[in-house]
Amino acid sequence: MSSKTDIIKTKTVRVFDLDDYEKLLRGIQVAACMITESHQIVDEQSVIKRLNALTINGASDGNCCSCCGVGPFETRAQQTAHYKHHWHTHNLKRKLFGKGALTLGQFNSRHDDNSSVSGSDSETESTNSTPASDLFAAATRHCKAFFTNKTGQVFCIYRCILHHKKEELSTDGEGFAWIERCQRLTIPGYQRWAVLMVSGGHFAGAIFSGAVPVVHKTFHSYVTRRGQGQAQSARDQHGNMPRSAGASLRRYNQAQFLEHVQEIISAWSEDLIGCSLVLYRAVGSTNQAAIFGKNSPLKKEDLRIRVLPFPTRKPTYKEVKRVHDTVASIEVYDTMELFQKALIAATGKPKTGADSNIERKKPQKSPGKPIDRAKSRERTPRELPTQMMSSEDEGPCFIDSETPVGWIKTLSEQSSKGVITNSRKDLLIDNNSVSANSSCSEENNVEEKKIKKKKKKKPEEKQDKVKKVHVKIPTNVKKMWKTISSIENTLDTILEAWEGDLEEACNTQDPNDGNTALHKAAIAAKPDMVTQILSAGGNPCIKNHQLQTPYAATPHNDTRIAFRMFQAQFPDKYNYNKSQIPGPLTPEMLELEKEKKLQQKRAKRQREKEKQAEKNKSNYFLQLPDAQKVKAEMPRCFLCGSSLPKVPFEYDSYKFCTIKCLQNHRNVRPLHKSA
Amino acid sequence: MAVRVQFENNNEVGVFSKLTNSYCLVAIGGSENFYSVFEAELADTVPVVHVSVAGCRIIGRMMVANKNGLLVPSSTTDTELQHIRNSLPDNVKVQRVEERLSALGNVIACNDYVALVHPDLDKDTEEILADTLDVEVFRQTVAGNVLVGSYTALSNRGGLVHPKTTIQDQDELSSLLQVPLVAGTVNRGSDVVAAGLVVNDWSAFCGMDTTSTEISVIESVFKLNEAKPSAITSTMRASLIDSMS
Repeated sequence: MSSKTDIIKTKTVRVFDLDDYEKLLRGIQVAACMITESHQIVDEQSVIKRLNALTINGASDGNCCSCCGVGPFETRAQQTAHYKHHWHTHNLKRKLFGKGALTLGQFNSRHDDNSSVSGSDSETESTNSTPASDLFAAATRHCKAFFTNKTGQVFCIYRCILHHKKEELSTDGEGFAWIERCQRLTIPGYQRWAVLMVSGGHFAGAIFSGAVPVVHKTFHSYVTRRGQGQAQSARDQHGNMPRSAGASLRRYNQAQFLEHVQEIISAWSEDLIGCSLVLYRAVGSTNQAAIFGKNSPLKKEDLRIRVLPFPTRKPTYKEVKRVHDTVASIEVYDTMELFQKALIAATGKPKTGADSNIERKKPQKSPGKPIDRAKSRERTPRELPTQMMSSEDEGPCFIDSETPVGWIKTLSEQSSKGVITNSRKDLLIDNNSVSANSSCSEENNVEEKKIKKKKKKKPEEKQDKVKKVHVKIPTNVKKMWKTISSIENTLDTILEAWEGDLEEACNTQDPNDGNTALHKAAIAAKPDMVTQILSAGGNPCIKNHQLQTPYAATPHNDTRIAFRMFQAQFPDKYNYNKSQIPGPLTPEMLELEKEKKLQQKRAKRQREKEKQAEKNKSNYFLQLPDAQKVKAEMPRCFLCGSSLPKVPFEYDSYKFCTIKCLQNHRNVRPLHKSA
Repeated sequence: MAVRVQFENNNEVGVFSKLTNSYCLVAIGGSENFYSVFEAELADTVPVVHVSVAGCRIIGRMMVANKNGLLVPSSTTDTELQHIRNSLPDNVKVQRVEERLSALGNVIACNDYVALVHPDLDKDTEEILADTLDVEVFRQTVAGNVLVGSYTALSNRGGLVHPKTTIQDQDELSSLLQVPLVAGTVNRGSDVVAAGLVVNDWSAFCGMDTTSTEISVIESVFKLNEAKPSAITSTMRASLIDSMS
């Protein structure tokens, strides 16, 4: 959950708490965001304004923008500027979507919310929908319906308890159909709901009257292939059905499961007919067949029968109760703003309310003691399973310590009836033992090692930090830092008068920014000082809080050279690998580099000179009269005066450097004229 | 004079050809009849070139062009681009653009000075368009349609727009484009005017179905009767330079 939604505190009211619910319904209205836009009042002023723009400014010159209601423009520049303005583009798009134009003020204020607008695609897509239409789109797509009441509270009810997906309650006008549905829920007959869930060989179902479960049933058969993670029936559809013992067992179980679920449902048929609502979760044809199969009292076309609008976990009785509770809960926001914030925050991510519920509930699994996943779990010594792999195939997660005792009893009853396969029984017996197969424990071992490594590092770092905070900087170190930041260029005076460990002093880091004396000298651009500190023992590999080594921190070229020279002089003094110094630099190399630069400069000057000379020549050539140009002993391009290639382009005794020059010359004086 | 022409029994000539003041492009393939009509009308003034875009013949809808330049979509192959560069006059800039709305001819309408573009066209494309074609770019719609390129046929002398464009819109557009506009149809009532008609400053080609009334509208708004290629250098030159300044 993001922090945003955490901040917004919502109350939850259940549909069955009749008092609270009726209080909530007082003065109920469908929230504005649910109502179709066609019923929003058209802004009369803007219509009149645009009519005026049509008639008064007149169609005579069209020197205005009817889309934005601007004009007449005084100058062409004004007009083009308007047509290029984002405001115009935005209004153009609004017009396309059949909405009125915004005034410049409205546009600007809207502009502030959306931070930036430009012509590029992704952004325009987001800008062409206004916040209001965003809200409308979010609200109509949402799995909940929104209402307001007299006290200004906004509350959301799951659509699935108000209407079937195929029933479209009209959102026109006041939305009376919605209000009627809400009020109907207070009648006790409308509070009898059934929840059925089938998935992966698990069935869980219950019928509730209000908040109280009237009947419920759960059971499980072994039908999914644990290793591969697919129902056996799904695997079989891919052709060449496996004929292993496990496969045939699962196939048999699937058939049994189907029959048994159908049995349960038909046994409940009278109860189900009395329900005002049957919520189900059954993904896939096999699961749906279990609920809607032959002779089932439930028909898919029945409008009472609705799909659960959020993801659910494995069908268990506990989950059924949770789902029922979630569906019946109504979120109440105290003000419209709170609600809008929450809605827009929620539409940013795909999570539904139920999802977050799951997340919130997870930690409750082990009350009081949160699981530390970094720690390896204790392995309890366990007897080898007496039966073959079956218990492992089952998956150990189905029954754990939190399973209610009563439920285990029902399970064991069922097992005595033969519903549950044999393997279930031994699970029931040692249901407290934690199963961990060999591969799992191996993984754990690997993880353990990793964690150990991490742990080793962490305490050290922490200690370091603690030191940094508490260490008192000796006064002489402070003095040294001060000298470095002053205008002095050497540390001679301080180093001579030094007493104590000079090396440690050089490597002491400033608690504020993590800079050592070397950093400070480097940043202050004092190459001499850098050399001095380096020879006094200042380590060039220490990084400051910005993760810069002294070399990386300096803005000064000569200081950088000082580092490299020092490395050349004392290649073994430090491990320079981590100092980010690019390599040693001897004075000879420095000389060479300088020489090179000088040469480059000279060459550049030479080239420029030549260019200038060439230019002068061509200028001189161009100034000659045409007759002389043709006869000149050093012929150049007739048109632009640049030097000619080996084989010049020519016609009639005119010579040119390129075809382009020739064409241009030719265009100026066409053949018939020159002839 | 507007010429009626057909491309393999299809009247949408604007789909298979592109005409500007300095060159004409026609689609490769099919019968040479189509090509020869253009050749006969234009050969002594501008080059007529066979091209294809991404192996397709619908070049008129895929590219946008004027006398200064040519924009082709990113689907154009290197060989096609090279062929276009080789065949067009040297001063025509040819540029390939990466644009989501790849049918450039449908989303951009232009003459040699201004261009109307789809409101959603990419900012980068807008810049390339302004640079390559040397035009001023305006995001606009024509009669509530975003496909301005399909519903507008433009030259430097006039323009034909979607028949349902309101008088007010026509006035605004014409004051923006600085050329007279008329709402009309081609090909016996087709409203996709750019698909049924290609024009430059002195010639026009329209589908074989175009009625004589439609032709007379076209000729009058594009001022084809007074315009001969020779006039470009004399009478028209002044007006062109005027409108540039």
